[in-house]
Amino acid sequence: MPDDRPRISDRIFRMALAVLPSDFRGNYANEMHRVFREQQREAGERDGFAGLMKLWWETLTGLLTTGPREHWEILKQDVFYALRMMRKNFGFTIVAVLTLALGIGANTAIFSVVNAVLLSPLPYPKGRELVILRQQAQKQGVDDLAFSVKEIEDYRAQNGTFSGVAEYHSMTFTLLGRDEPLRVQTGVVSANYFDLFGIKPIQGRTFREDDDKLGAPAVLLVSYEFWKNSLGGDPNIVGKTFRMNDRVHTVVGVLPPVPQYPVENDVYMPTVACPFRGSKAMMEGRDHRMMNVFARMKDSVKLGAAGADVETIAGRLMQDYPKFYPASMGYRTITVPLKGELIKDARPTLLILLGATGFVLLIACANVANLTLARMTQRERELAVRSALGAGRSRLLRQLLTESVLIAALGAGLGLLFASGGMDLLQGFAARFTPRAREIRIDYVVLLFTFIVAAGTSIVFGSLAAFLSRESLAAGLKEGTGGASASRRRHRVRSLLIVSQIALSFLLLTGAGLMLRSFVKLQRVDPGFVPQHILAMKVSPNFTKYTKNDQYRALSNRMLESAKMRPGVMSVAISSSFPFDPDSVVFGLGINPYLIEGRPLKDGEAQPTSAARVASADYFKLLGIPILEGRSFTEADTKDAQQVAIVNQALVRHHWAGEDPIGHRISFDDGKTWQTIVGVVGDTKELALNQPADEQVYVPVDQYPQIGSLLVRTMGDPMSVARDIRQSVYDVDPDTALTHMQSLESARSATLTSPRLTTDLLAVFAGLALVMAATGIGGIMALTVSQRLREIGIRMAMGAKPRDILRMVLRQGLGLGLTGIVVGLLAAIGLTRLLQTLLFEISPTDPITFGAVGLVLVSAAVISCLIPARRAAKTDPLAALRFE
Amino acid sequence: MSSKDRDREPQAPLTPAMFHILLALADGEKHGYAILKEVADRTGGKVQLSAGTLYGIIKRLDESGWILEKSQRPDIGFDDERRRYYQLTETGRRVAMAEASRLQEMVEMARAKRLVRKPRLA
Repeated sequence: MPDDRPRISDRIFRMALAVLPSDFRGNYANEMHRVFREQQREAGERDGFAGLMKLWWETLTGLLTTGPREHWEILKQDVFYALRMMRKNFGFTIVAVLTLALGIGANTAIFSVVNAVLLSPLPYPKGRELVILRQQAQKQGVDDLAFSVKEIEDYRAQNGTFSGVAEYHSMTFTLLGRDEPLRVQTGVVSANYFDLFGIKPIQGRTFREDDDKLGAPAVLLVSYEFWKNSLGGDPNIVGKTFRMNDRVHTVVGVLPPVPQYPVENDVYMPTVACPFRGSKAMMEGRDHRMMNVFARMKDSVKLGAAGADVETIAGRLMQDYPKFYPASMGYRTITVPLKGELIKDARPTLLILLGATGFVLLIACANVANLTLARMTQRERELAVRSALGAGRSRLLRQLLTESVLIAALGAGLGLLFASGGMDLLQGFAARFTPRAREIRIDYVVLLFTFIVAAGTSIVFGSLAAFLSRESLAAGLKEGTGGASASRRRHRVRSLLIVSQIALSFLLLTGAGLMLRSFVKLQRVDPGFVPQHILAMKVSPNFTKYTKNDQYRALSNRMLESAKMRPGVMSVAISSSFPFDPDSVVFGLGINPYLIEGRPLKDGEAQPTSAARVASADYFKLLGIPILEGRSFTEADTKDAQQVAIVNQALVRHHWAGEDPIGHRISFDDGKTWQTIVGVVGDTKELALNQPADEQVYVPVDQYPQIGSLLVRTMGDPMSVARDIRQSVYDVDPDTALTHMQSLESARSATLTSPRLTTDLLAVFAGLALVMAATGIGGIMALTVSQRLREIGIRMAMGAKPRDILRMVLRQGLGLGLTGIVVGLLAAIGLTRLLQTLLFEISPTDPITFGAVGLVLVSAAVISCLIPARRAAKTDPLAALRFE
Repeated sequence: MSSKDRDREPQAPLTPAMFHILLALADGEKHGYAILKEVADRTGGKVQLSAGTLYGIIKRLDESGWILEKSQRPDIGFDDERRRYYQLTETGRRVAMAEASRLQEMVEMARAKRLVRKPRLA
């Protein structure tokens, strides 16, 4: 009996000793245990159970104060020592810290974007409840049909799953009341819009039900950006007035900075204030569709239930109004989570970039691990001496880990600086893909990420080095400089690291190469028109002045005449829109159903649809769009002449394949008026270069008086006549607003910005990888050469020529390089598939890219091996033998 | 490390526990438990060192060169061979003396201010 008790308490005491550093334990544990047992015996004899409890209490608190203190002492010593070693090996420290800083910095930067855009909840209360309703005409290939007022009323009244349904559309209006007229993007929303999102104004108030009643005084909310940038952050803006659409509007509030979808608006107004939405046709026409619809699901409602709810309403509408929702349309309505919609364009790019930076970090780790290993070889003696002086093995490992943690911490700090320095660039980059770009910042989640990455990094490269030096420590103590097997194993690990570096570089270079090739192809796409030397702009006449078609006809003719007179102008055209028109890029081309004469629709057959554009006579010639058949518009195509239309090739292929379309007639108003096709023109890329051309119908401006854009072909740089052209328009009517004035060339290249940026970033990461891998392979060969000097000396003494030695070293380096390339190639075949969505007309396993990358890596390996190889070839055999 | 570095004099006053351990070793080498016991007995149980505290201090005193682990143990029959004995070094003795006189000076000062009672006769 008396033997059992001490055994349990012994075990507990031994366990409690674990709070002490292992060296301390190794030195004193037995003594302490003995002392404790004697104390225990005495306390038990003297004071019984109470004495024992007191002893335990004192012992445990003693250990809990001694343990941390001892650890802290060691840490201080280790850090001090590590700093001294780092200063002593300054070159190594700089290279290691910089390498890791690049790796960690790139990861932190891309992660800050991923975190803000993909991971964070939307900056609205209960953002997960917010959805977008989307009407579709599936059989007509339309997956985002706008809503009409009538339809919104129906969905609002009939649903049982939403706590609110808000409507939205966006238009541009002219805001008067500042020094110059401001053309403002205006969100037109129902009164409940901001409450639905849970947006609280930073000044004033948002809209109330009363603001949206007919006859209410006109009010405005200004966006944070517009308030800051265009209104100078005026602290007293609430209550100020502006003139807009011939009415006085009072500012009632300023919005906080929140992501705006689908476009960034400058100001917001209630629906009743919009002259277009307020028109009788809009209010009553079930097919006058212009609006978006947002909704918030009730507390416990799941997305599926909300979807079923709107599907039911859609079904009911089809029954009640078969004229508006014919079976041939394929009508349905779906609900889409708002968050998914805000980030869907960004997701693939960001995930690929995050993967790429992950690879860069792995390469950086491998590089630093290799450097550390190489340095270990030099430090073997130092470690052996310290070990002989009594430092335990675990103590030395701890020391080595401290060094790697310090290096990683410095790397992380510097990397964080890199990342925060690039914040503006990152926001600009992300803004191309998502309205959430403004949310990108380095917050605690990003800091935590950086911390974890740095900790992981130091563990990866530090413990690897420490682990491998453990063996040589043991060996080094025996005699001489490290056991042969430990050194061989280390060499094997280093080779493995090099091979994986090359393989990862292959992956990154392939990714960048594919993107580059895809980008070049994209850039070479023939848009179907000649964008050079063309100035394009959006023109918005003051619509309150021009109410009749004849007025528009006169205005367009005067504008054309006025612009034509300016110096440097070769020709001028007016149209409703133009290719790469920024409005079209955001809102789409517009879908117009039409009839073809003599081809009645079969049951269930979808009505054909097309984009339609109003164009003046010179439009095609000015843009260099070829007339393939028939004729262009002429001055003779007036309102009283025969109604005519020109179609593009895509439309002809669809409806008149192998036939002559000239002379056929189409109607956009259910047969009330018919347009005769008088010409066929070439296809043009309208929205993006990577999409096929849309079917398009053109009608003459005299027959469809509408002014949306002005196009000017110039002799020289289009922007050089911009001021003159602006004046020419003001000469005709100073109330006309001109926006988006730009060269068509820059409008075209703007559509290439996001693939270009993605390509650039991938190329930078791949370049980093290449440099690291090349220095890695060069470094290891240099080390190998210096370790094999004696062998090389013997070989040369035995008659080997310098050329043989050169070849031997190169062969070894290339062996590593080729192994890495093969591994990388296999991995790339599997992984580049992930890039598919970003690639244009290029296969993810494009042999040209793969071959070129292989060639680049082989040359990099040869070049970086050449220096050590030449040094080896110049070895003086006598000196080499003497040296050992 | 030079012996000068190792045998450095204390920069700051010793902690009471340290001083007690130096005192315990002043009249000859002792093992850990004997040190604890002596400190406890001498202070009438007021100062009770735990094993952790004791060896934490022993380690530091050893590193400072104020105490020394005896390489030669007493006869096997006389004591347990596993025990480790510690003795005061010359430096350690000087340190203890310096601390003692520092404390004495303090007491003198306190006495001058009439903060110390006269020692009672037994």
